[in-house]
Amino acid sequence: MKTKKQKRQGDFQKIQLKVGKKKPKADNATNVNFRSKAIHLPEQLKHADSGPTTHRQLDIKDLLSKLHHINSNIKQGALVGLRELLSAQPTLIELHASAVLSEVAALFTDKDGSVRAAAVRLLRFIAQCISAERVAPFFPLLSAHLTCAMTHISEAIQEDALRVLDVLLEHYPGLLSQRHTVLLTNFLELISQKRKAGTGQDKSGKGGFALTISTNRSVTAQQWRLTVLLRLGSFLQAVVEERPLEEGVTSMIGLGMWAGEKGSVTSVDVSWEEHVFGKGRIQVFENSGAVPTPHSTYRLRYAVAGMNKELCSAETVQGFAGTLVPLMLEIWVEAAGGDRVQTDSGHLLSAEAMALMFQILTILQLLRRLTPQRDQQDILDAWFRNSYLTDFKHHFMKNFPYGLLEVARHRKKCFGISTGTVAGGNVEPLALNVTLCQVMVTLSLRGQDHVEAEDADWLGTIRVFIRETLSNGGKLSSKHLAALLEVVWRMIVTQRSRVVTDDLLQAVYVQYQQRNLAVSVRTLLLHFFSQLYIQEHQNHPHIARSRILARWLASLPVQLVQLCSRNPQLSAQLLETIHPAAARGNKDLLQSLQKNACSIYDPQEGSVVVLPVESQKRLVQILHFLPTFPAELLACLSQVCNTGRVSASLATMLIRTIHLRSPLSGWSSSSQDVPVKDVDYLSFFFTTLTGFSSEMLQALQDTDEDGLMPSSTLSPLSVFTTTLEQFLHHWDVVEVCHCLDTLGSRAQCFDVIQNAIIKNLCGLVVVPDCVCAAILRCVPRLLDVNFLPSDTLLHFLSDCCLSMLSLLLQLEQSARKRDAVWEACFAAMSTVPRLLRLVLQSLHVGDLCEEELPVLAQILSLLLQHTQLRNHMMANASLLQHIIQDLTVKTHIRLHFKLCFNR
Amino acid sequence: MSAPVEVVLSADSAGQLFNCAVFDPHSGSEFLSYRGGNTSSRSLTVLNGEYILGAQLGKNFINVWEIQRKDQLQQKIVCPGIVTCLCASPDGLYVLAGIAEAIYLWEMSTGNLLAILSRHYQDVSCIRFTDDSSHFVSGGKDNLALIWNLSSVVQLDSSRTPEPCHILSRHSLPITDIHCGLMGPQARVATASLDQTVKVWEVSSGEMLLSVLFDVGIMSVTFDPCEYFLFCGGSDGNIFQVSLCSTSLSRDKTFQTDSDGNQVFKGHRNLVTCLSVSMDGTLLLSGSNDETVRMWDVQSKQCIWSINHKGHVTNAVIIPAPANMFLADSHPAVPLPRFSRHLNPSEQGDGTGSGGMCLRLGASTQVTSETSLKVLERCDDKCGSVLCQSVFGDGENTKVRVSELEEEVKTLKKINKDLYEFSTQLLTKPN
Repeated sequence: MKTKKQKRQGDFQKIQLKVGKKKPKADNATNVNFRSKAIHLPEQLKHADSGPTTHRQLDIKDLLSKLHHINSNIKQGALVGLRELLSAQPTLIELHASAVLSEVAALFTDKDGSVRAAAVRLLRFIAQCISAERVAPFFPLLSAHLTCAMTHISEAIQEDALRVLDVLLEHYPGLLSQRHTVLLTNFLELISQKRKAGTGQDKSGKGGFALTISTNRSVTAQQWRLTVLLRLGSFLQAVVEERPLEEGVTSMIGLGMWAGEKGSVTSVDVSWEEHVFGKGRIQVFENSGAVPTPHSTYRLRYAVAGMNKELCSAETVQGFAGTLVPLMLEIWVEAAGGDRVQTDSGHLLSAEAMALMFQILTILQLLRRLTPQRDQQDILDAWFRNSYLTDFKHHFMKNFPYGLLEVARHRKKCFGISTGTVAGGNVEPLALNVTLCQVMVTLSLRGQDHVEAEDADWLGTIRVFIRETLSNGGKLSSKHLAALLEVVWRMIVTQRSRVVTDDLLQAVYVQYQQRNLAVSVRTLLLHFFSQLYIQEHQNHPHIARSRILARWLASLPVQLVQLCSRNPQLSAQLLETIHPAAARGNKDLLQSLQKNACSIYDPQEGSVVVLPVESQKRLVQILHFLPTFPAELLACLSQVCNTGRVSASLATMLIRTIHLRSPLSGWSSSSQDVPVKDVDYLSFFFTTLTGFSSEMLQALQDTDEDGLMPSSTLSPLSVFTTTLEQFLHHWDVVEVCHCLDTLGSRAQCFDVIQNAIIKNLCGLVVVPDCVCAAILRCVPRLLDVNFLPSDTLLHFLSDCCLSMLSLLLQLEQSARKRDAVWEACFAAMSTVPRLLRLVLQSLHVGDLCEEELPVLAQILSLLLQHTQLRNHMMANASLLQHIIQDLTVKTHIRLHFKLCFNR
Repeated sequence: MSAPVEVVLSADSAGQLFNCAVFDPHSGSEFLSYRGGNTSSRSLTVLNGEYILGAQLGKNFINVWEIQRKDQLQQKIVCPGIVTCLCASPDGLYVLAGIAEAIYLWEMSTGNLLAILSRHYQDVSCIRFTDDSSHFVSGGKDNLALIWNLSSVVQLDSSRTPEPCHILSRHSLPITDIHCGLMGPQARVATASLDQTVKVWEVSSGEMLLSVLFDVGIMSVTFDPCEYFLFCGGSDGNIFQVSLCSTSLSRDKTFQTDSDGNQVFKGHRNLVTCLSVSMDGTLLLSGSNDETVRMWDVQSKQCIWSINHKGHVTNAVIIPAPANMFLADSHPAVPLPRFSRHLNPSEQGDGTGSGGMCLRLGASTQVTSETSLKVLERCDDKCGSVLCQSVFGDGENTKVRVSELEEEVKTLKKINKDLYEFSTQLLTKPN
């Protein structure tokens, strides 16, 4: 029992609590001595079975749903995750484009800066991956969000909206430019606010907008404006560039000079050889002529213009410019420092102000280019002139040649980084000034005297500036130079005065004459002059009569010679000007060309041999316009034909050109003065025919090279074998001896050639094979039936013929060469029967040694094989019989010997 | 013998036997010959079927014969310079002459010199009209060919110098010949040049359709009337035939293996300077500097006949036989006026003596083909905007204005009617 009792007591023991002692802990007290942590699940445990995931195993649905999370960190994390996922799996973008884009776009207006930044980064990444046409369906949504952000009340969001705009401008300029109606007003509202109607304080009526200044931006008002204007500028640029090109767009003069000619019809180009051999089937009218081209002036209706039609007309541009230009003028005034700055240093600007001004001018320029049609552009120009000329003159031209304020630069170095400079903030003063010139010059009207006087003051300033810039010896970058040249072009065309033209052209010429210009700059200047000459020459007598232009033209051939082969492109461009100028019979050019002809057409290092084929062709064509051909030039040309550095077809063309120019051809009926003297022409022809000058032939007589075949009974002349290449080239060139065929009197012509051959070639011992072939080929073609060739010539020819025949049997290298040689011999022998007889007579079998007998036999069999020769052979039957008899006797004897010996 | 439908007209530079002569296209027998002087290249033309005009070689006048009086030179028109080419419009109203770098345009009814066009930089080598006389094409030794609209050239407004509608500048050597196809302003033009190419262009747009590169310079070019073939006369005496649409040639190709040469007419030994195709496209006429004129059968490419001349053939052309040619007692319907040598006839005062009156298109009504539609469109726009204004603007004012205008129209109509009646009376009154 006791135990039971004790037990009971133990169960209900009372613990006495005493003062000053700690209360013992209850048994059932919870131990709170632990720490808890939240379970964070950044990644899923489940493994991918429903598609690709990020490294945290989140798939795209999770990420997209997280974008709606209230916590900005999670949103940002989701955006980063999306970027990771999409960059790993680019195919996903295509699949989920609509969801991703709409969710991302919604975050443009997020109140947290870091989220917006991440959204922009993601957008940039997506934009790189998707092409414009795939984004097009979602673009209305994107642009709606963009508009929303741009007009947001929070300024930070506005600033970030410009970043979004940057991305879109970079990747989808075409799509963005279609949204101009909304965006343009947005731009205005970013830097200004609508004036309240009815407040009478502002009666000026310069648009309904006033500039705003807000103090709580992170940047100064000027910097903010600069950022906005930069975007506006690039947006307008996009609009201008993305406009679908319509027909009838005659680009304005200034720009037209850089724009190439665009043709809508693809013309068919065939060459006769291709056509003959059935390679090129021509379907002219199916290809390009059946349907009238879009350029045809006979059209029923015009194509429907693109979406941004409203921005093409002058009225809409005027409407927009009417609000924008006053704002920009205000900005300009503020940037220029108002009236506080003293007048003497008014032209010195801080870098920031300069960037701002540059943007303003760029936008003005772009506004003008918004209208593509020429007539609309003229309307716009006139409108600008009427409304703003005084303002522009007052503000822009007051301190015109602007410079950089040195102090400002120092200050900027110290504080520049901390204040956060805006991108695109560095503008050279030159760029500013040049753009100013461009803008102002477009305001000048063309060809009206009373206006000219009005404009004289400010145009004079601009002229002085341009002249000094161009002629102070400094090197200009090609971009600035292009702008300057555009201004010069415009001024020359509009002002129509010789003094101005010469003044400006002189300055450009000074620039042109500088040494060591960069190739692009040189090309630009060259292009300027040549276009000026080619395009405007006819319409503007003051340009045509300019002395500078004449001097420039005259200097072209010299430059061509000096340039040599160093820069073929530049040479080609020079030729592009020389050719039309020569065709137009420009006296200065032709004189200079005549003077330098011998060096241009020099056979060793003249342009005609060192330049590429296209330029060579042009040079040959230019020959057609040369006033006279002196003997030295013809000597050069003949060597050019024969040295092989000009292709055979081109050489043929050259010879034909000279043939046409000579009065013997009977084509140029009207010319009184004779460009090519008959004597010179014939000697040119003969030299080309032989292919070797007399000196070279003389030199050959004394050499003993490997190419030399010694003379023997069967080959009376010692033949110098030329290389295959040279032989074939010469063979092709000789083809042109047809030209001589068409001369007036054949008999006389042949007489001349005969004398030339006798005088120059007959005494020779060593003769190149190509010369032999050429002579043999040429003589029968030129020979008249009634004309009796002299014996000397015939003997020489028979020697040639025999030598060639024996050469023929030794040739294994080329079938073409063998064919050519045989063709020449055959033609000669079949047309001149006496020649054949002489050849046969010279075959003295008795003098031959044993090795030569088979050769002789082969020659004879060759001659007998040919049906056309057979008749002539029949005529010489007795002679032939004699030879064969001798041959057989001799062979018999030899056989006999051989048999004896063997026995 | 019934009168032939077509005749061959040819001239040479020597002019020993005749200046120019008329032959039968089928037999080559000579019908007529016109004596006196000789004719330079591309300058023989028939005016209105009643006169033959030919520019004297190397001299500054044009010989004129009445077409039925072969023995007698009717007139010599003295020009300001040596005439390099000459062309009469097919409707017989205008004559064009290339004199050095300039083109002179005369009106046949009065003999007035209407315009001097100096857009070429060197001698003009060839001028051709389109078949409806609305446009003409000029080619020069400066490598350029220009397409002109006749009506814009003829305009009265002297302040504006006439501009060509298109400048064809893709040849790189002098242009030697031009041929205009049929179909007026929709025609195609072929130009031949020494740069060894023949190019085909569209008159309406000035676009190049085709360029064929040969291995010799081309001296003459022509189409057949259907524009199936292009014939090009080379400077080596060959005539090349280019097929412009691929027909069933591939079928024939199996048994005609040597395609080389079957598209070349071989026979001439020197520059082929003139080419012309007959109306039905079966005969091709060629004249050459080897002093022969040859007639070819296009199908078989054989020479049918050839005539020897005494000098370089300068002109050879197949023309429809003029009605007056074989009627010795006929007279031209219009006498040939004196050709004026100066641009402005009113200053000279001799134009007034004839009692004629000069009617010409004013600058405002000129048919500048390019803008007429645009103008129409603009007018339409204007009308629309005016309508809008009248609808939305103040109605009272416009009503008054409309009634005023209607009244004016009525008066004008009445005046017009009176004028018409008066003139019909005057004209129908027997003398």
